[in-house]
Amino acid sequence: MKLNRREFLSLAGKSAAGAVIFAACGLPEKELIVQSPVEMPEDLVKGEDQWYATTMGDFPGGDGIIVRIMEGRAKKIEGNPDHPITQGKSNARYDSALQMLYHPDRIREPLSRYSKGGNLNGISWTRAIKEFKDALNTGGNMTLVTNPLRGHPGSIASKFASHYGGVHINFDPIEQGILHKTVENIFDQKSLPHLDIGNAKSIMSFGADWLSTWVSPVQYSRFYGSFRSQSDRGYFIHVDPRMSMTAANADLWLPVKPSYEGDLALGIARIIVEEKLTSEINIEAYKKYLSPGFLNGYQLRDVSHRTGLPEEKIKKAAHIISEKTPAIVFGGGSTEAHTNGSFNLRAVYGLNILLGSVGVTGGVLPNPSSEIDDLPASSSGASMKEWEEELSHWRAGNVDTVIIRGVDLAHGLPNFLGIAEALNNVKNVIVFSTFEDDTTELADLVLPDSTFLESWGTDIPEPAPGYLVLSVQQPVVVSNSRGFADVLLEVSEEAIGSTQENMITSTITTLQKTGTGSVKASNSRLYKKGIQQRGGWWNTNYSGNISGSYRESSKTGEISTFSKTNSLGEGTEFHLIPFVSNSLLNGQLAPTPWAQQNPDPMSTVAWVTWAELNKSEADELNIDEGDILLIKSTSGEIEALAYPHPGVQPGTICIPTGQGNSKKGRYAENRGSNVFAILADKKDSETGALAWAATKVVVQRSGRNKKVAKFEGTVEARPIEPGVPVLVLGSGETADEAITANHHIYQNQFLNNSHADTGISHKDDETKTDH
Amino acid sequence: MTTNKTGKQNWGMVVDVDKCTGCQACVLACQSENNVPINTQERFERGRAISWIRVERYWEGNYPDVKARFIPIMCQHCENAPCEPVCPVYATYHNSEGLNVQVYNRCVGTRYCANGCPFTVRFFNYWEPVWPESFRNHLNPDVTVRSRGIMEKCSFCVQRIRRGVRTAKKENRDLIDGEIQTACSQACPTSALVFGDLNDNNSAVSKMKHDERTYKLLPHLNLDQNVVYLAKVDPEKKIESHSVESGSHD
Repeated sequence: MKLNRREFLSLAGKSAAGAVIFAACGLPEKELIVQSPVEMPEDLVKGEDQWYATTMGDFPGGDGIIVRIMEGRAKKIEGNPDHPITQGKSNARYDSALQMLYHPDRIREPLSRYSKGGNLNGISWTRAIKEFKDALNTGGNMTLVTNPLRGHPGSIASKFASHYGGVHINFDPIEQGILHKTVENIFDQKSLPHLDIGNAKSIMSFGADWLSTWVSPVQYSRFYGSFRSQSDRGYFIHVDPRMSMTAANADLWLPVKPSYEGDLALGIARIIVEEKLTSEINIEAYKKYLSPGFLNGYQLRDVSHRTGLPEEKIKKAAHIISEKTPAIVFGGGSTEAHTNGSFNLRAVYGLNILLGSVGVTGGVLPNPSSEIDDLPASSSGASMKEWEEELSHWRAGNVDTVIIRGVDLAHGLPNFLGIAEALNNVKNVIVFSTFEDDTTELADLVLPDSTFLESWGTDIPEPAPGYLVLSVQQPVVVSNSRGFADVLLEVSEEAIGSTQENMITSTITTLQKTGTGSVKASNSRLYKKGIQQRGGWWNTNYSGNISGSYRESSKTGEISTFSKTNSLGEGTEFHLIPFVSNSLLNGQLAPTPWAQQNPDPMSTVAWVTWAELNKSEADELNIDEGDILLIKSTSGEIEALAYPHPGVQPGTICIPTGQGNSKKGRYAENRGSNVFAILADKKDSETGALAWAATKVVVQRSGRNKKVAKFEGTVEARPIEPGVPVLVLGSGETADEAITANHHIYQNQFLNNSHADTGISHKDDETKTDH
Repeated sequence: MTTNKTGKQNWGMVVDVDKCTGCQACVLACQSENNVPINTQERFERGRAISWIRVERYWEGNYPDVKARFIPIMCQHCENAPCEPVCPVYATYHNSEGLNVQVYNRCVGTRYCANGCPFTVRFFNYWEPVWPESFRNHLNPDVTVRSRGIMEKCSFCVQRIRRGVRTAKKENRDLIDGEIQTACSQACPTSALVFGDLNDNNSAVSKMKHDERTYKLLPHLNLDQNVVYLAKVDPEKKIESHSVESGSHD
């Protein structure tokens, strides 16, 4: 017997979850069904799947997803076809994140350590909440540390800290503070602008691995698909010392020397200005706030020498982005991770002004500045300078309670900061975590945190797609775990709000009163259901403003590329460039076996920490694949398996993030090495952000070798013959033409080799040739 | 051996190599949808990792002029499949809808099919797949969980095809192009993978099949695959002109 709508709404009001199934436009309307199997009439549960819309909370981007639920269990995560960010698409992290929910090593109950250095013991939630309240009620200073949070979680965290007279500080091991400050500086935007990649004719990106992990990869990948679908296909240039996944997709990869990205950008600017490759209006706008002669130091020959790039390639890049307009130039990642990171990034984004790309379709477009109900729409990690100051307070015993959530602080902070020592001097260390990790090892109270599939929340995607979006997260499975925000509200005894769901409902009511947006309903309860069904609320009728001004700064910072000094001892000096793992990110997904076993796109390596170094350089140093290398900096030493890589610049060594956890479950513990630990104490000269790509290391062979766990074979993967299996066409060439040309190339190679080997005459060879 | 395509649909896929970024979204989506076993470190080291769809990466040239090319490879669902006639128990056959079907409970594990496949898209369960008990909660009940001794491979998400066809029939309507998506094509953020009915002239796959960038893998083997690739474009490539010779083996 089927429920009718009135019966369902009655049931939905009673159920603990109250979650509402996804119903996208265009699909036949389905009856709303309560998810909890306890409340569900049996004949409606078995064998039928339901899809619930929610959000990938705690992962960057604010992506809207739908989750397939059968008999109360989550089976699959996919992109929400209705959501402006994902539009039905996904990335490798969505599916592996599902394993967090049913992971056998999740923390199941609150844990308390009776004394510093003692064991963690299971306690009840009642006792845990009491201990939490007792810690706060001593009246001492308090610091709340979270991952960068937006929406209601960010609002609740900030209000909680304020309520107790404490400090809320964000942590992100791969800082993006310089990126945010740059867009504010150049475009006067409080949150990241919308990059209209899909309509651009050319793209030039610096350092940011935007197709893999940077900022909003699903959204950018969708745009990339549109970019390549244009009639002239678009032209993509990527600047990076390392051939990342993004660099591999570029039509032109410029392997710049680390920290010279700003020089390259200004060298290109000089070419554009000198050769008048853009309009006078654009040139005037670009030079408006610059001192006369600002570009004098960026002559082509000098820039070529400093960046290590041939003059003709620099010139080519300048011509391409000037001629194929609208063009977008953007950057992040390792480009901002030097002591001159701010200088680099400003020079990069400033090019958009010179190209006339600001505020035009196919260029850099504004995102809403207006807020939804005062919810934070932008967030980034605090700078390393701010962290040093904060930790000095902890070390001095000035902070009584530190609450940490959503970050593995002890894993993500470099050794030179001494986080363990600092936390030992804090009376009460309270950690919210889904798994035991390096930080829970230092905690006095551990509270099991819900995954994003089990709790309420909201997120304002950053960057938004050019209009207002509020992604709504709802619990899609029944769970005994408690969300971090709801625990804070309970501890603060409703001084900030009753429950997160109620606060979200209040925001939804505010949205309904505007009479705008993607949901229309006759009453507030149906309006809320509508938002839950769609996975959020968005208003496409938005017009914002954006303009650009490029101002030079007196603090340009130092170049990170160093001369060899052997000051670290025996071994060969390299420039260390960490990169964010495509599957593990910064370690958030290290517990999940699907993420661990997902091959890296460039090396196909899985399960281990490897170190990429230039293939020719490895040969010169007698380093073979699998050699265990000792990599030492001023901050410490790690080991990694050597992986000679054709796409890495000589003098650099590239190591992925995510591994080197002492705990985090059976699939992550004691596996690989933590590259964050050995980052040197180097900071951006303007903002104090950690210059995480500015570390000098010394590399030695340990004498040990281990087979590298990778998906590719033992022979380097190169085409056996042209066009097999990847057929490559030139502009305007058809597949048939290319295949014919390849056939001739291969035949000639084959015949030439036969001549060399056997001396058989050409005529005899032709008759014996067998395809 | 040709098949009698009497089915209403003929399922096929077009892979646009120019749009594939190598992100592995398709690999994980397939893993999740089809209960593909967890590949431990040992399996990788032994060369026994199972991946119904994989993204291969090829190098061209040397630093600094090196290029990397990505290409997703899955079962090609060949009409003239070399894996089908060699199975001694008919555990693999070609159905009327163009699918190369694997019958798990008939397979006895001779591995002749994998031996015959030139694309290395068939994977054998040399060991019993281990699923920690709690992970069994996220197994897809629509797909058999294979045990040791069974050959497995991409099925074009036949469970999704069946569900879609059933739904359309229940609603008394024709299938809409794009309604049935394999897990990989659904996940692909750049829309490099497009799945559909090659019998429907208006479907996206039918239109894309005639693109001038179209090619198939190892065409000289005459396998008549239902997976078609669109070539990568490199604007930096120098084009060499050659005339088409008569008697060419292309």
